[in-house]
Amino acid sequence: MGDIHEVPRPRIATGQLAQHIGKPVCFVGRVEKIHPTGKLFVLSDGVGKHTTVELSEPLDEEISGIIEVVGKVTNQATIMCVSYVQFREDKSPFDLELYNEALKIIHEFPDYFPFG
Amino acid sequence: QRSRSQNIVPCTVSQLLAAEQVDEVFRICDVEISQVTVVGIVRHAEKAPTNILYKVDDMTAAPMDVRQWVDTDEAGGENVVVPPGTYVKVAGHLRSFQNKKSLVAFKIMPLENMNEFTTHILEIVNAHMILRKNLMSASSVPPSFSSTGIRDMGGYGGVGSLPVNGLTAHQSQVLNLIKSCPVPEGMSLQELKVQLHSMSMSTIKQAVEFLSSEGHIYSTVDDDHYKSTDAE
Repeated sequence: MGDIHEVPRPRIATGQLAQHIGKPVCFVGRVEKIHPTGKLFVLSDGVGKHTTVELSEPLDEEISGIIEVVGKVTNQATIMCVSYVQFREDKSPFDLELYNEALKIIHEFPDYFPFG
Repeated sequence: QRSRSQNIVPCTVSQLLAAEQVDEVFRICDVEISQVTVVGIVRHAEKAPTNILYKVDDMTAAPMDVRQWVDTDEAGGENVVVPPGTYVKVAGHLRSFQNKKSLVAFKIMPLENMNEFTTHILEIVNAHMILRKNLMSASSVPPSFSSTGIRDMGGYGGVGSLPVNGLTAHQSQVLNLIKSCPVPEGMSLQELKVQLHSMSMSTIKQAVEFLSSEGHIYSTVDDDHYKSTDAE
């Protein structure tokens, strides 16, 4: 699946994209829109800020709901996606706002939740 | 004979990889760990006759090897291989062989509710913070992470995970002493003061009041004697 899965990928929200330019990250968000070409989609984070995710190959399936993207942040502060998964919500909806709060905690206490 | 840690500690893969081993004991920043839980996504699954080898990825490092032994007597195969792309919670023991860390899992459960993944993140920070702080607080009583009952996290019963019980170091120390008291009338405030000579009587009383209001202890013959509500 590529080298990016062998390295730490900090979990970030939209507001932290600028600090991670050129770096591998993990981003979780809700699908807001998908470009007709299928090579681009927009996710919103837990505080509603949007992140653009680009793909090298167009999507071969419909995506919706909560998506977790692994990729590299581009100079334009978009994410070049290497892989993604959809969070299951068949039994319970995912609380994206709570996840955002968790992100704040892990960034406040990196000693207790180290990436790498 | 070393005392094995009784806790099951939620961890990141990065913490497990960084754990230092002295003899048979693993430590993360001096905190002893043995049984751990990890939440991550299955990247790879390989079935062998006696075991299933998974690679579980939580984004904090490279995926970790997780081995689950298969009961070869089991005809139907209780161990169904979890497919790659599934988020799982793994409970198991940390192992190191030829300098490579891995987990031997006693339970691997696909997450049905992804909010458990978020909760696990919070539990990791909480657990490691409490464990390290307890190591640093000077006290005559060793820290104890008594289970406040079996936590219903994904349903693997029988193993108490680290309680998010919010007790301060003082409260924990008072509770541990009260728990250790075998006599029917329990432990008196005076006895607590004798044992916890560094703690003032007012601090002890505050701790007792809090523990009592939270239901950890109850008064027996009078307001000066307390027993623990946890059966030990």
